[in-house]
Amino acid sequence: MLSIKDLKASIEDGTQILKGINLEVKAGEVHAIMGPNGSGKSTLSKVIAGHPAYHVDGGSVTLDGKDLLQMEINERANSGLFISTQYPTEIPGVNNVEFLKMALNSKRAFLGQPEIGEAEFKKLIDEKMELLEMDDRYRDRGVNEGYSGGEKKRNEILQMAILDPKVSLLDETDSGLDIDALRIVAGGINHIMGPDKAVILVTHYQRLLDYIKPNFVHVLRHGKIILSGGPELALELEEKGYDWIEEK
Amino acid sequence: MDAISRIKQIGMPRRNNELWTFFPVAKIPMPEFPETCNDTADYSDEEDFAALLPIAFNAQTMKQDIADGANEMAMLKCNNDFGHTVLNIGKNATASLEILDNKVAHEICAERFDIHVQENATVHIFFANPADGVPLRFRHFRIVQEAGSKVYFSEIERGTGIKRTSLDAFLKGNGARLEIRSLNVLDGDDSVHHRITIRHEAPETESVQFARNLLNGKSNASYDGSVVAGANCSKVFSSQLVNTILLSEGSSVSVKPVLKIYHDDVECTHGNTCGELDAEQLFYLTSRGIPVEKARELLTQAFAKELFMPMPDSPAKERLEQVVASL
Repeated sequence: MLSIKDLKASIEDGTQILKGINLEVKAGEVHAIMGPNGSGKSTLSKVIAGHPAYHVDGGSVTLDGKDLLQMEINERANSGLFISTQYPTEIPGVNNVEFLKMALNSKRAFLGQPEIGEAEFKKLIDEKMELLEMDDRYRDRGVNEGYSGGEKKRNEILQMAILDPKVSLLDETDSGLDIDALRIVAGGINHIMGPDKAVILVTHYQRLLDYIKPNFVHVLRHGKIILSGGPELALELEEKGYDWIEEK
Repeated sequence: MDAISRIKQIGMPRRNNELWTFFPVAKIPMPEFPETCNDTADYSDEEDFAALLPIAFNAQTMKQDIADGANEMAMLKCNNDFGHTVLNIGKNATASLEILDNKVAHEICAERFDIHVQENATVHIFFANPADGVPLRFRHFRIVQEAGSKVYFSEIERGTGIKRTSLDAFLKGNGARLEIRSLNVLDGDDSVHHRITIRHEAPETESVQFARNLLNGKSNASYDGSVVAGANCSKVFSSQLVNTILLSEGSSVSVKPVLKIYHDDVECTHGNTCGELDAEQLFYLTSRGIPVEKARELLTQAFAKELFMPMPDSPAKERLEQVVASL
């Protein structure tokens, strides 16, 4: 489904952050990427999404065989990629619900489908907001405008639920969430996840993985995946930290 | 001293005159005044050429009184190149006044509005649909506010030509409040200039100046805003904020805030920001599948919409928001 091969990327001053990432994600799989601060986890999702602050130095990223790196940012999203960044951007003046509808209709136009009708969209958003236990405040405000950290993360998952992507790359979705919110958001992700979809979770903590069971756990350090394993690896990292990997 | 004599005394606008610092003064044609000035009032204190121009050209004066406690909505339109409107808004009255452009103006168009707002009256003065193709338009306001009055002055400027809005406000009564909101959406060689002076002449008076510019092509905007807080005026509040998004390399903006404060117990602020569309916001929208051109449109519209959001619900706000939605 998502295939990342020898991906290298740098920032404007030439500093290389990603130094050859390899990752194969198949439909139905949940992958967790863990790693110390500054290892390149956030950069990975932004590079795959096409953030203009990063330059791809080499390698490839394909989604269902299509070269994502050759696509515009919106085309990547409409092809089925969803990324949630660590700090979702606030956009005052752009209504949250109108934005969601526009995003969904952009995807439908890309796929050659007609615009969604008012009633159908209302039903869809009501259903997803109920799933994530979101109240009406989310409807009237600007995108992420004045939201707490946890509210922003919940709003990200709402977008994911509406856009129904093939692959979701969620960067520290658990940060800023209290215990109840974590349970609700994780429940939402599990609900959206299906056999034809995949999720990549970037996280520092095991606690998210108590709710969303990963098939694979990877350790990213110095811009490379240095170790991969099963769910037990996350427990081992929680216990021992990261240094033992390099010592090994 | 009549208006013609006063213009002759102060001379044509020049860039070294503080009121005209940013204006392309060379574009102002040398006026050929009538032999006599019908309005014989004394204009010897008037400093602004644009305020004198309609009077010097014997503009037809439209006078209107809005009675105490009345609730009026009106459209004001000048049918000649020069216009003069005198309004007296009665105590506790509410008025909503939309100024329409003269769409058949010739080389130059100049209007003057003298507005006296009595105690506790509330007035919305706004213009949102400027005419295209008027080469040069001056619009001058002289607003006097009594105690407890509120004036919401709102405008949207766009379209071709050179436009200048000048405003002299006198907050004479305790608790008077003036809010000015200006949105300039310019492209090509459009050029829009503001020269605002607000005089706080009583305690607890408040003024808000909020301007936003969306500048494309080789367009140019300027905002020259002065606030004077008088010696006996405690608890004055004034704020001035100008935000500009430059959508092209060739566009430009000039901002000049001036604060003259003669009392210690006041709160006066000013700020100015200038930049491009926020790259992170653009990325966020496009990362959700929205095409980049549509995303730019959304962001510019949001920037414009925010300007009028804090206004109280009113026909003026509705009209301004309608125009913003169509930008």
